[in-house]
Amino acid sequence: MSDLVEKLRATVGDKGLITDEAGKHPYLTDWRDNYLGRALAVVRPATTEEVAGVVKLCAARKVAIVPQGGNTGLVGGGMPHEDASEIVLSLNRMNRIVEVDPIGYSMTVEAGVVLKTIQEAAAQHDRLFPLSLAAEGSCTIGGNLSTNAGGVQVLHYGNARQLVLGLEVVTPQGEIWNGLRALKKDNTGYDLRDLYLGAEGTLGIITKAVLKLWPKPKDVATSWIAVPSPQAAVDLLSGAHVASEDNVTSCELMARQGVDFVLKHIPGATDPLADRHDWYVLLEWSSTRARRAGANETGLAEKMEAYLGEAMERGLVLDAAIAQNEAQARAFWGLRENHSEAQKKEGPSIKHDISVAVSKLPAFIGEGIAAMKKVLPDCRPVPFGHVGDGNLHFNCQSPPGWDKARFFAYGEAISGAVYDLVTGYGGSISAEHGIGRLKVEDLEHYRSKVELDTMRTIKRALDPDNLMNPGKILRV
Amino acid sequence: MPDTIIAPIIPTVPVTPAILEALRAIVGDKGLIQDEQGKQPFVTDWRGSLTGNAAVVVRPATVEEVSGVVKLCHDNGVAIVPQAGNTGLMGGATPYPSHTGIVLSVGRMNKVLNVDPVGYSMTVEAGCVLQTLQETAASHDRFLPLSLGAQGSCMIGGNLSTNAGGVQVLRYGNARNLVMGLEVVLPNGDIWNGLRSLKKDNTGYDLKHLFMGAEGTLGIITKAVLKIWPAPKDVATAWLAIRDPQAAIEILSEAHAASEDNVGSCELMSRACTDMVLRHIPGTQDPLKADTPWYLLLEWSSSRPKPDGGEGMSEKMEQFLADQMEAGRVLDAVIAQNEAQSRNMWTIRESVAPASRAEGPGLSYDISVSISRIPEFIDKGVKAALDILPSIRPYPLGHIGDGNLHFSFMGPKGMDRPTLHQYSPAITRAVNDLVTSMAGSISAEHGIGIDKLDELAHYRSKVELDTMRAIKRALDPRNIMNPGKVVRV
Repeated sequence: MSDLVEKLRATVGDKGLITDEAGKHPYLTDWRDNYLGRALAVVRPATTEEVAGVVKLCAARKVAIVPQGGNTGLVGGGMPHEDASEIVLSLNRMNRIVEVDPIGYSMTVEAGVVLKTIQEAAAQHDRLFPLSLAAEGSCTIGGNLSTNAGGVQVLHYGNARQLVLGLEVVTPQGEIWNGLRALKKDNTGYDLRDLYLGAEGTLGIITKAVLKLWPKPKDVATSWIAVPSPQAAVDLLSGAHVASEDNVTSCELMARQGVDFVLKHIPGATDPLADRHDWYVLLEWSSTRARRAGANETGLAEKMEAYLGEAMERGLVLDAAIAQNEAQARAFWGLRENHSEAQKKEGPSIKHDISVAVSKLPAFIGEGIAAMKKVLPDCRPVPFGHVGDGNLHFNCQSPPGWDKARFFAYGEAISGAVYDLVTGYGGSISAEHGIGRLKVEDLEHYRSKVELDTMRTIKRALDPDNLMNPGKILRV
Repeated sequence: MPDTIIAPIIPTVPVTPAILEALRAIVGDKGLIQDEQGKQPFVTDWRGSLTGNAAVVVRPATVEEVSGVVKLCHDNGVAIVPQAGNTGLMGGATPYPSHTGIVLSVGRMNKVLNVDPVGYSMTVEAGCVLQTLQETAASHDRFLPLSLGAQGSCMIGGNLSTNAGGVQVLRYGNARNLVMGLEVVLPNGDIWNGLRSLKKDNTGYDLKHLFMGAEGTLGIITKAVLKIWPAPKDVATAWLAIRDPQAAIEILSEAHAASEDNVGSCELMSRACTDMVLRHIPGTQDPLKADTPWYLLLEWSSSRPKPDGGEGMSEKMEQFLADQMEAGRVLDAVIAQNEAQSRNMWTIRESVAPASRAEGPGLSYDISVSISRIPEFIDKGVKAALDILPSIRPYPLGHIGDGNLHFSFMGPKGMDRPTLHQYSPAITRAVNDLVTSMAGSISAEHGIGIDKLDELAHYRSKVELDTMRAIKRALDPRNIMNPGKVVRV
């Protein structure tokens, strides 16, 4: 294999190759510290042609490749196995914004650009790139697209796949597919783009993308709302679409438990409301029409205030605060986005990223909490998530003071109870995080043979030697 | 079939008497059409330009029957042409003359299975007529946004298999954006139940998107879970005489903010198209007595009812149009004052296809480029066609917000179809070369079918065609599912 390493060096240069253990380490372990893999080398190509060259070298020697973006995934999709037979191919040197077209509302980027950098580049051109999630400061767009990331604006703008016009992909044979089309409509054969999006690097490596941009919101209203129940949250959202004239951009539900963890562990976090409540909603409306000066003009904040007042009379809202300035809005968002961080500091937790039809969400939450408590009465359920998408992070925190080993002994039983319930509801066991390594067996258990066979057939057809991120999503 | 296309090799296993009886056992007498006269509408396309053959037309009533029919054909190697409303424009649902297998029509599977107004979804069978589905949604105070000229006869299974577009794509997306789940019968007869009504589901490869737009070459869509939206309560429709296509793009660009993101449709029309409709379609009236070459049909809609005494969509639009007139982009405009007036505007737009059939022979290209390049494309494209045939008459129109033009031409006055078609290959090459040089699409919404098989092969890279073929071969190794459409295997 030393022959391979030298050939790789010739392709990507010294700067593009990491072979020492200390240098490799950050690429071999995941954000949640659940995996520690090994790799022949970490290869960091600087161009699409270099990616293609690396893939060709590996294909000829039947060496498997684990593509990696910002390494912020939650299911081990970017993690190599432990046998040191694979290389990690990191896209983090391919971090150029190739073009911004504000008139055509599109932007062409390389796969290794950090999401936040993309958001900022769009904003500089008075445009919005709506993908937004907690890891945005370190995740990269290639990973976002390979996992079809979700986030807090899916309700209005859709998942990552809806934000993409075109892709460039290096195939498992090392060929470059140029599908970088900036077209809204293109019915010319099979939709390869949507096949690569969400395939978690198992069918090829996304190297560039043409992203859609939107007008930048000019009038934003954000509120922190105490609601009596998840059902009230669903009803509140349902009415909000009309009251805001279809301008609801986020609607996030949180249980008191998660908010308590944030208040306890995140410096500077404060409770916006005086009293304690069981359930909270973070509601945001945005419009691209700027507020006009003048007493008669009603902006979104006034519309939202009127709507929340009316909702309070109907018993859907217990108390609410509308952000008076951007700092307050950011503080509200901090309470939501620090949920994962706070849970990590609180101790071990088991995560479930599930979705059901929106109208079934309240019933699911009730039954799901009961199901987890039935397995382990002292566990602390931390449900939170995207009401409008029917998507919850249905997490379970250990009883206070328990260590990983003790708590994870209940992991299978707790997750099994949750996933059985999700399946009974016709839901998804991975709404936005994907399958990776973590959920391969769960997918096998819950999906039909026809579906698994069809996926395997596609995988075998495009990657017959099973060299592209093997063992992720599917066992071939 | 266009004379330029060499028929692809497709399986020619005959439907033997034994197979025919086995089909009858699955679908019954009601589900079989054998006589030539009965088969005729299923083997001819809507335009009347393609006619093929089929041993028998099979019309299953349930997904289990579809599965049984496909399994039987699979085991015997008999080719299948799936068909829904048969309104396609590329021959995707029409059998080749050399076809010896069956046409499988989903037209008897026409039940709406469930409407969930709270969850904003609707589960339907593939043979439901689009207009019926629009009406069903409306009866629940909901809105199914897919809308196109053929909606009175096209069926949802065909709409999804071709990823149909239409006049609301700007706001709601193509057909594939309106779907949450599918049920598909695979080329081996297995039933894939992907009928999920989930907004988010990242569990493996997105099979749903692969089957949509595959034109029945990878399987037969039998059911779908569709997304529905709140019904629009406040709609403003206007007919604008505009400076030029560049003005149309600028108007649209500013309309998003002025309407608070409520632009529903923005359709570019030429004077020539409008006059052609007025000539041939009874009851249509010119909304504006203007004599300028370019028009825009602009519609804003909101799900919020107009507040009492407050500012609604038409007041906002009126203010906007006044601003645009001052900016010199709009020359004259009229906002529909009632349903009849807006209906008239829409009829003009939607009658272009039937009017052009009545007008005589023509050529039409369904292209897209990035929106900002539409004016350049129109200029260069018209010039390219006129260079080849100076007396040809351009009739451009289209969905400007999607970058999608129906770039059409009527033959010179008095020229017959065969003569016009002698010029067709040269004009097609010129138009598609231009599209490709501008990084556009040679089929924005109509698909590939038979008509564009060779055009696609000409313009797409080897790696892309190879990838498509690898998928086709893997999922349909016997090449029985709509063989010879989209890609040659």
